[in-house]
Amino acid sequence: MLRILQVEWLKVKSYRTFWILLAITLFSIPGVNYMLYNLMNNSFPSGKGKGILGSPFGFPDVWQTVSWNSSLLFIIPAILIITLTTNEFTYKTHRQNVIDGWSRQQFVGVKLIEVFLLSVLTTITVLLTAFLFGYFNNKTGGGSIWRESRFVLFYFVEMLSYSLIAFVMALFVKRAGLAMGLFFIYLIVEQIIVGIFRGKYDIKGVNYLPEEVTDQLVPFPYAKALLPKQANWESHIPYYLLVAFIYVVIYCLASGRKFLKSDL
Amino acid sequence: MKSILSIQSITKFYGRIRALHQVAFEVPPGSVFGVLGPNGSGKTTLLGIVMNVLQASEGGYSWFGEPPSEKQRQKIGTLLETPNFYHYLSGEKNLEIAAAIKGHGKEDIPRVLEIVKLTERRHSKFSTYSLGMKQRLAIASCLLGNPSVLVFDEPTNGLDPVGIAETRELIRDLSKQGKTIILASHLLDEVEKVCTHVAILQKGQLLMAGDVNEVLVNEDFIELGTGSGSAGLEKLRTVLESLPGVRQIKGNEQNLQVFFDNGMMDLGNVNQYCYEKGVVLNHLQLRKRSLESKFMELTGK
Repeated sequence: MLRILQVEWLKVKSYRTFWILLAITLFSIPGVNYMLYNLMNNSFPSGKGKGILGSPFGFPDVWQTVSWNSSLLFIIPAILIITLTTNEFTYKTHRQNVIDGWSRQQFVGVKLIEVFLLSVLTTITVLLTAFLFGYFNNKTGGGSIWRESRFVLFYFVEMLSYSLIAFVMALFVKRAGLAMGLFFIYLIVEQIIVGIFRGKYDIKGVNYLPEEVTDQLVPFPYAKALLPKQANWESHIPYYLLVAFIYVVIYCLASGRKFLKSDL
Repeated sequence: MKSILSIQSITKFYGRIRALHQVAFEVPPGSVFGVLGPNGSGKTTLLGIVMNVLQASEGGYSWFGEPPSEKQRQKIGTLLETPNFYHYLSGEKNLEIAAAIKGHGKEDIPRVLEIVKLTERRHSKFSTYSLGMKQRLAIASCLLGNPSVLVFDEPTNGLDPVGIAETRELIRDLSKQGKTIILASHLLDEVEKVCTHVAILQKGQLLMAGDVNEVLVNEDFIELGTGSGSAGLEKLRTVLESLPGVRQIKGNEQNLQVFFDNGMMDLGNVNQYCYEKGVVLNHLQLRKRSLESKFMELTGK
């Protein structure tokens, strides 16, 4: 397994696009958080509106805030994953790797591992970002700073799920532009469906759509005092996690099956 | 001795199009095995199947007498259809990837680059290579780790005449070292010049397969000319018709082609016979029936 990862490393080591996209992926996480942090502070100078907003960048709320802010950026790692995957098809190197002596399982397996590793990497960045914001804004009334840090884990589930959707699309359509377009369109389409069915007809089933189910894990973090607390959110968490896990298994099986059975 | 590659009744459909129909043959060890056929006859499809990048609809194959696995492919140097490399990496870095997949280190890379004369350009990006250089890099990649079996699909594609001659020489050298080489081509003289065995495909059907000398048995003929115009040729034809062992006489304006029954061909005898009958030959040559004409005949072109 390590040998296969070493080959993947050789593929990206001297690939400038990879490093640029990876840098954007990682730096945009503290970036977007800092931007929203400034926006908040400038919109409500001298502590006005504190009662409504609470302190989203102080412990313990900072875990949820930073996780939610960072989840706005999933399109960026998706572009990286789609680029790396469709490159293989464009250059037909997926064929060459198999011809040279990889099994098809190894090829698709190591790509899935890469998606996993990228998710781990962004999650670590989110963890550090949240920790630093919390540390410099420590407006908590005591208690452990790690309280509610589970949101970082939820972010990981969300990131992994979105990234696997991007990977599956790349594997099935094989073209970079098309896969990115499809990913973006699906992002919007699902939001529209959720908006219509939940907003208008109060159908809760849409909460379990592929992207929405992980979005549910990290709810909107601002102005908590104003928004009605979603009923039973806490008790639904195990179900959201279970359904998200099932989706992840489906993505892995679908991509494996596709690559194992088809002509390359 | 067991076959290097055994193909067992492989059929392949692309949707409703049948690309291969029950193709079966054996590649003996140490042979240079030509897979011959016009464009679209299924050569690349067949090689794609035995390299596991395409799925056979029916039938199977075995390498070295064992069921297929990725470990076997690591021991085979393969160039299939087009050179497939990462455009953004240098030639050398691309070879590092191929070597790593095959389970080798970098130690063999300078040697193979030298063989294909790409040492000077080894640090250039693959995307800057010319068509011929890309092809050379693909050949270099095949040679990594000095495999005992090589599969070349149209290896001279995009090469200049010097490159074609060098590749042919390389294939002969590899063959002399006892390696088994499977060579797919639509270039008949390429196959004819280097192959010991041949399989001929047309529209996905195997027309024949075997030793080059067996496939081409009884196909030698003698070309004769008199240098005295059509009257001379006419006289020559009459004379030859009474020569024992002559099976068929074909002709054109310059000369006649004479085919003999098995074992009846003797150039000295023919010369003497004609002279005695009052015909002086100015041209007498033994011709091997070329694979090309055999191929044309078989494929009905």
